[in-house]
Amino acid sequence: MDNQGQHIRPPRWPQRLLRFFLRKEYLEEIEGDIDEIFEDFLEHNSVKKARGLYSREVLKALRPALTKRLTKTGKLNYLSMLQHNLLITLRGFKKHKTTFLINLTGLSTGLAAALLIFLWVKDERSVDTFHEKDDQLYWVMSNFSINDDVRTWDYTSGRLAEAFLEDFPEIEDVVRVSNVRPRGVIAFNENYFEALGLFVGQNFFEVLTYDLVIGNPKEVVQNKSSVVISEAFAASVFGSAENAIGKIVAWENRLFDKEFVVSGVFKTPPPNASKQFDIALSYENLIEVDPWADHWNGSYAQTYVVFKKGTDIELFNTKIADYLTLNTDSDRFELFVQQYSKNYLYGTYESGIQTGGRIENVRLFTLIGIFILAIACINFMNLSTAQASKKLKEVGVKKAIGANRSALIFQFLGESILLSLIALIISIGLVALVLPQFNAISGKALELQLQEYLLPIISMIILTGVFAGSYPAFYLSGFKPVAVLKGKVSNLRGEEWIRKGLVIVQFSLSVIFIIGVIVINKQIEFTQNKDLGYDREAIITFRERGKARKNPQPFFNELEKISGVLSTGNMSGDFLSADDSYSGFSWIEGTKDDDNHLFWSPMVGYDFIETLGLEVVEGRSFSREFKDGTDRVILNESAVKFMELQNPIGTKIDFADEGPLEVIGVVKDFQYGSLHQKIEPLILLFRRRGKQYLVKLRPGAELDAFSKIEKVFEEMHPGQVFNASLLADDYTSLYDTENKVADLSNYMAGIAIIISCLGLFGLAAFTAERRTKEIGIRKILGASQLAIMRLLTSMFTRTVLVAVVLALPIGYYMVDSWLQNFAYSIELEWWIFAVAGVSALLIAWFTIGFQTFKATRINPAQCLRNE
Amino acid sequence: MKKTKLGEFEELVLMTVVVLQEEAYGVEIKRELEDRLSETLSVGSIQSALKRMEEKGFLTSEFGEATQKRGGKRKRIYSATPYAHRVLKEMKDVRSQLWAAMPNVATS
Repeated sequence: MDNQGQHIRPPRWPQRLLRFFLRKEYLEEIEGDIDEIFEDFLEHNSVKKARGLYSREVLKALRPALTKRLTKTGKLNYLSMLQHNLLITLRGFKKHKTTFLINLTGLSTGLAAALLIFLWVKDERSVDTFHEKDDQLYWVMSNFSINDDVRTWDYTSGRLAEAFLEDFPEIEDVVRVSNVRPRGVIAFNENYFEALGLFVGQNFFEVLTYDLVIGNPKEVVQNKSSVVISEAFAASVFGSAENAIGKIVAWENRLFDKEFVVSGVFKTPPPNASKQFDIALSYENLIEVDPWADHWNGSYAQTYVVFKKGTDIELFNTKIADYLTLNTDSDRFELFVQQYSKNYLYGTYESGIQTGGRIENVRLFTLIGIFILAIACINFMNLSTAQASKKLKEVGVKKAIGANRSALIFQFLGESILLSLIALIISIGLVALVLPQFNAISGKALELQLQEYLLPIISMIILTGVFAGSYPAFYLSGFKPVAVLKGKVSNLRGEEWIRKGLVIVQFSLSVIFIIGVIVINKQIEFTQNKDLGYDREAIITFRERGKARKNPQPFFNELEKISGVLSTGNMSGDFLSADDSYSGFSWIEGTKDDDNHLFWSPMVGYDFIETLGLEVVEGRSFSREFKDGTDRVILNESAVKFMELQNPIGTKIDFADEGPLEVIGVVKDFQYGSLHQKIEPLILLFRRRGKQYLVKLRPGAELDAFSKIEKVFEEMHPGQVFNASLLADDYTSLYDTENKVADLSNYMAGIAIIISCLGLFGLAAFTAERRTKEIGIRKILGASQLAIMRLLTSMFTRTVLVAVVLALPIGYYMVDSWLQNFAYSIELEWWIFAVAGVSALLIAWFTIGFQTFKATRINPAQCLRNE
Repeated sequence: MKKTKLGEFEELVLMTVVVLQEEAYGVEIKRELEDRLSETLSVGSIQSALKRMEEKGFLTSEFGEATQKRGGKRKRIYSATPYAHRVLKEMKDVRSQLWAAMPNVATS
């Protein structure tokens, strides 16, 4: 094999590699050598083989002894430089102990608070996202137009599901779930268990993936008399899931009293599921007791749709907008769909437009978390700029002996990142320590899973470190060594300005926090004290859980014999949860279900109005003397206004199949349910045998009366546990979410203020120290302690005042928008803002007071001795 | 001996340089050694040994002529320094002394 050497060139890529990596001084010789060998190769091998051998030679030549050094100087020892930096940093920490401790405390508390908020926010955002078809799963909502207003309901007709599946090919699956929920007592072997149920369509467990432990999702609720129970419920009633299958349970509640066979067990809904229930049973059961549940004009069902992948939701919304108009005789409904998992966070509508919901709390806390972290970072920046003048000499010397700017930036950033890493370790410990309490306050079951959040946490730390250390790193490292060492830039005018700006930001945030805390707490207090139109003090409420719907009169008679009992009443359903509403009323003769309006319609017994102290403004209350029955109703004032009745008493109202109802009285408007709801038209229906009892006790004799009532109850209802609560307590728990938000924001605001104060404290210490000589001279010249105190305080006072002025309008805007969430809210009064401003100032004075006081007591002889 | 850190391969290359005299450049050294050791060597290994020894003061070098075969690039001709000669001699002495000291059993 003899190749014509002249024309065959060596392969280009290895050649380039060689030229790039090899040291310049060796290149000519070694490239020549390899070229020469290539010629030899060509003489004995094919071109392809020769080129391969050439490449191999090149690769073998790329060894450290022959290649370029990676750095120019070649000899920089990074490890020892790092060691040196670390040493300097640690010495710095040791020398400036106060600053170091303030930074560390501030950063670690701030980080801990931010971490907790991060966990909370992540959990809130995860709600309902666990369903397998989450991205295809939608909830049908309806906008209902009434009196120039639009209400948005998450429930529609029970017939919708079936009709949707027939009419829209883009729908893969659809299920209906009852809006009315059976809550009652389940009896098994003479034991009673409280259970919350859910009427579901047959394919419920296929659409929403609450996993079944036992049972086939296609079959478990096929049968009208079979129920599926949760694992937890199975464990408490039957001991285990396996034992539950095939057992017969008796379930008695206000809707039905029936026996069921347990056909399956589902995994207890996780804490981040918005739909919690112990028992699921067929929707047919609801239709059996109330045919309206399967009627186009009834609003009984929540409808969940699974779309086929790639469905255009906007287009679908336009298709279904007038769907109910076509299928019912009402043109007031407009349908649309909302993603199922979004409903938890975005569940509030105003005039038919999505306006928010829990997402506001999520945003609020995200903001608070960022604020707190920012305040902690500002501390760090402030204190390091304050010490900048001390570090200047270090910078000058280092630069003079050849450190370049990037090395200094690296050093300062490394310092702050190291500090934040230490803070991180402490904060993780803190979080682990307070997590149980945090869970108790927030009502969650959060866990700190570090592995999962390692990346975000580490990046957060590095970000914090870089942010906090950026000012000294980039500003200080830029000085000219000559100027620094000559002492020409020792007073740093601009730096003081920045420091003031940072304090202003910090205190503005603190003032906003204070305003927020005052307003949130005022609003909570307001909801507790507002006149609701009824009495809730000294009223106990309890439920009779027996099977039979027996006459309550004998029980009433016994109760009234007790001296501490003032009045007794009963009702069906629950007064505070306000879940009784009916439509199908018509009050204009010759029409049917006028406007299809849904009225709040609690079903109450005799003396209900008297016990709760509702005020009858016209007509009379339900009374035994008149032998009032289910054909009598009482309206509230809003209902009278809504129906436009001139003479309400005696008006006949047509109600579904029950025939005409006669209005016998009108009560003053009262708050049914929580203050989130406006007072709306309400019809009190009469039911003599309601099982929820309300007993008003004589103030002062509550305890005695309570035990007597318990005795009577247990005598007359053998086997039942007397489980009474105070109406006032139950009312308080309606505001759980707000209470939690209030508690959380109280703590967070406290943390924010403390961190701000820490920073100010450090700054005051620094200023006092730097002005020691000035103070000494002033004292010699005859300045009084008070004058010096005023001198030192005035600078901070001015800064804090600017912060207050900036914060007030922002704070006003923020709390005002929060209060929009309530139908009834407090007025924002001027004193709230005054208190916030003044307390910020007082806190600031208090914080710097100690340092300032110490400074005024300086002995001038001592501090001036050195000059 | 302490100061002269000369590896086995380095020693071989160094001796080859001395043997080849005027012809002692990379590729020629490689060919000579390959013949004598009857194994394949790479340019990289020879060159790095040369550079190391140059740094340690065993070798000096200067550019020689350029040939067409080398794509117009010049050779670098190496020559051993007197120090290298001394070290080689020392090593040979140590070896022969050791050989002499070895009992006859080993050689037979």
